[in-house]
Amino acid sequence: MKRRDFFKKAGAAGLTLGTGTGAALVHLYAFAETANLSKVEARYYKKLPDNEIECQLCPRACRLGDKERGYCGVRENQDGTYYTLVYGKPCSVHVDPIEKKPFFHVLPGTAALSIATAGCNVNCKFCQNWEISQVRAEQVAAMDLPPEKVAALADANNCPSIAYTYTEPVVFFEYMYDTALAGRKLGRRNIVVTGGHINPAPLAELLKVVDAVKVDLKSFSPDFYKSYVRGELQPVLETIKAVAKSGCWLELVYLVIPTLNDRPEEIRKMSRWVAAEVGPDVPLHFSRFSPMYLIKNLPPTPLSTLEEARQAALGEGIHYVYIGNAPSLNAENTICPKCRNTIIERYAYSVRVRALDKGRCTICRTPIPGIWA
Amino acid sequence: MPASGAPFIFSPLRLTLTRLANESNFKFMPASPVVIVRLKGILSSGSSLDGARLRRGFEAGLKALLGTDRPGEAVGALFSSSDRVGLKINAIGGRSLATPPEVSLALAGLLADNGLSEKNIIIWDRTNRELREAGYRLNLADRGPRIFGTDSAGVGYDPDIVSHLNIGSRFSAIQSRLTGASISLAVLKDHGTAGLTAGMKNYYGAIHNPNKYHDTNCDPYVAELFDAPPIKAKHRLSILDALVVQYHRGPSFHKRWAEPYETLLFSRDPVAADFIGWTIIEKLRAAKGLPNLKEDGREPAYLFTAEKMGLGAARKDSIRIIEVEA
Repeated sequence: MKRRDFFKKAGAAGLTLGTGTGAALVHLYAFAETANLSKVEARYYKKLPDNEIECQLCPRACRLGDKERGYCGVRENQDGTYYTLVYGKPCSVHVDPIEKKPFFHVLPGTAALSIATAGCNVNCKFCQNWEISQVRAEQVAAMDLPPEKVAALADANNCPSIAYTYTEPVVFFEYMYDTALAGRKLGRRNIVVTGGHINPAPLAELLKVVDAVKVDLKSFSPDFYKSYVRGELQPVLETIKAVAKSGCWLELVYLVIPTLNDRPEEIRKMSRWVAAEVGPDVPLHFSRFSPMYLIKNLPPTPLSTLEEARQAALGEGIHYVYIGNAPSLNAENTICPKCRNTIIERYAYSVRVRALDKGRCTICRTPIPGIWA
Repeated sequence: MPASGAPFIFSPLRLTLTRLANESNFKFMPASPVVIVRLKGILSSGSSLDGARLRRGFEAGLKALLGTDRPGEAVGALFSSSDRVGLKINAIGGRSLATPPEVSLALAGLLADNGLSEKNIIIWDRTNRELREAGYRLNLADRGPRIFGTDSAGVGYDPDIVSHLNIGSRFSAIQSRLTGASISLAVLKDHGTAGLTAGMKNYYGAIHNPNKYHDTNCDPYVAELFDAPPIKAKHRLSILDALVVQYHRGPSFHKRWAEPYETLLFSRDPVAADFIGWTIIEKLRAAKGLPNLKEDGREPAYLFTAEKMGLGAARKDSIRIIEVEA
């Protein structure tokens, strides 16, 4: 129903409800069905007796009776069949700089057609997109945009890549997967921005059709994951290792939150793990926290804390360490780990490739890993 | 540079209404008996329930609960005549297991005939679709109680998030703004995760993100949600519809484990009402040879948490039970 029709009905009915205080009135236009939901069978779940199902997409393994919805809020058991409610129903579609994801070693200076549906399989208390990630499928205004149209939009907008981002793309796995295939047919790259809560089997399938994955490693403490993410650390670490092993390009982001995950020991421990398990060439972005959603009682991360984190990671041997959300620190440039010359210069979303040719530093010819063309 | 950019959001229509927090009405939950009203034979009266009989059941329950012979006095003890009262029903189970329209309308009729304005009574749940599927005829007219879901155009969830203990949710505008007093008119059911779903968990339908609160058998979330101001400050009465009790494999309807029980439970103590509901579930499970909820790993420990939080009583020896035939 179109909004105009609401008003028509409202006019016809002339209905009002008081608030109880008498101070304000609300017009109830109609009993409009505004939800725009899909009914596409989910790909990773197990049917159980008595119309129950167990979701096998992420480590939560939601076990659901008929009419129940998973933790993500966008997958529902209907009479013993599990459906995704958001296939082809993005609530956000944007053309973004790829640096905004952030990917710093993937097609620098290009635009990524970025899409998201509602939903998430964790509940970070510091989520910056909670108005679309922490809601159920019917609580956003969704568009109709099947995979082929997404790919065509990327093409029409000169976006070499399609980014699955903003919320948690794992919860719209089927849509992401099919869009990635459609994108590849048109020569688009596929890049994923995820918290990493996904089971090994769907991850392995996904990694066959995407080119780069950015994982938000939110802490290196299981307790932090339990208290502030409502998730688990170990599956995220397994995802990071699987992405690195697959040959897909991997970048990591660590949002530094004052007093919660900013202890230097934790940063060093995490950096050591990264260097040892996935290698020192995986870019590591420290990102500045701003108070929002359920954590509004902490200040933004002090710049000195971010700089200390960067130094700690560099000290543990990570080659490419960046700081996001703090352009004044001038820590967004890509520096050649051998000759220390600036290869790519960045300030916010301005990008200038200065010394990179065919994946090598033009000064010392050191290979600089990434997807450059 | 942000970890991921703020996207363009197609926001639903939001209301800018005067907040009706009504927090000045805040009270600790009073000690209250649980009244069990038996309606023997109510399910044998044909395809629809006997509304007049149900009304007598509600009247008997309220009178016993409030210790009066006059229904007007009972209603007056719970509400003022200007109160806008929400009947938060449970429509998710479809026609087989939702709060039946006959039940809600019988209660609404009793309230309207005893001091409340009919148009100030709102029968509601999350969505219009669920209400329709449960057999409700949506209504915004001046006649009869109003019946609509949170997803009605112009209603929705409050834009502001309420952060309370482990809860961070938007509340339905019906709970937070359009009503000043609330009755939880819930269906008594087994629940695959929570163990029990009844009057307190019914308020999961008053928030935008109930899916986020099913970990650890919904403990402490059920208790903490109830403790949040938009609910605790307005809740006046729990009524459990135990006409048919789903004692296993809930909250979905499974005829095999659905027992005709022909009972309504009333209490001003939300914890006590649910606790007695739990004992009924266990009794039915035991009679069918099923393990109890603790053995099944689904003990509704949120009731004990609620008791510790001062929301009511979760011990049989501290709950006075009054049984009534109607």
